Amino acid sequence: MANIAVARIKREFKEVVKSEEVAKCHIKVELVDDSFTSLRGEILGPPDTPYEGGTFILDIRIPETYPFNPPKVQFLTKIWHPNISSVTGAICLDILKDQWAAAMTLRTVLLSLQALLAAPEPDDPQDAVVARQYKETSDIFSQTARHWASNYASAPHREPVMDDKVAQLKNMGFDEHKARVALSTHNWDIEQAMENILS
Amino acid sequence: MSNCRYTAVATWRWVANDDNCGICRMPFDGCCPDCKVPGDDCPLVWGRCSHCFHIHCIVKWLNSQQVHQLCPMCRQEWKFKE
Repeated sequence: MANIAVARIKREFKEVVKSEEVAKCHIKVELVDDSFTSLRGEILGPPDTPYEGGTFILDIRIPETYPFNPPKVQFLTKIWHPNISSVTGAICLDILKDQWAAAMTLRTVLLSLQALLAAPEPDDPQDAVVARQYKETSDIFSQTARHWASNYASAPHREPVMDDKVAQLKNMGFDEHKARVALSTHNWDIEQAMENILS
Repeated sequence: MSNCRYTAVATWRWVANDDNCGICRMPFDGCCPDCKVPGDDCPLVWGRCSHCFHIHCIVKWLNSQQVHQLCPMCRQEWKFKE
């Protein structure tokens, strides 16, 4: 990999480790191997959001042309959010695409993602199903996002009614995650969700 | 009679408004990652927006921009300060 990319990641690493946000346990970066091209990020779900207290793991790939091109980032932790694919974890965020600037760093990227969790942009969605739910039934969206965060990101606030519905379908022999996706997609209507899984 | 000898030593610094280049994040007292020796071979340049970078770093950034050439720090249009 180009000299500048590795040299910069090494310096950034020290910066993130020393930063105030790490001291407060809000963001974290770790190496996956010793190559400095593949990193693991971690952000804490921001307060007063459905993601509050959850730990979200990110896969970060550093291109050879870094910092002239943005890092490739996606969520490894499953999440229900209008700008993040509930299927692949792909993120729709302008600074990770055409609005990237060479002065941005791993630290600012992680903080921007944390801000995205607090302020979704439903008009520029990555997951159209989630975005529609966010716009049309915001209460159900918040509960669904909280339910996903408690199940996949170890967030402390549970949604017992939704947990029960997933358990019901699971007891009938359906795969837990498939059941959760179908219920989330059909605003927690059990019959519609079952029809969807069986069709 | 005493014999005094003086050895002259000088230091230099770039007068920049920051300690590190925002692109490579190396100190301005040093050089960009592609150079070996700081100084005239790896000079600093300023934009009209007052942001400062190693010339090698900002040129690479500007070359990587297809449409608008913006300062990587403040996103204003990049113009070299005369």
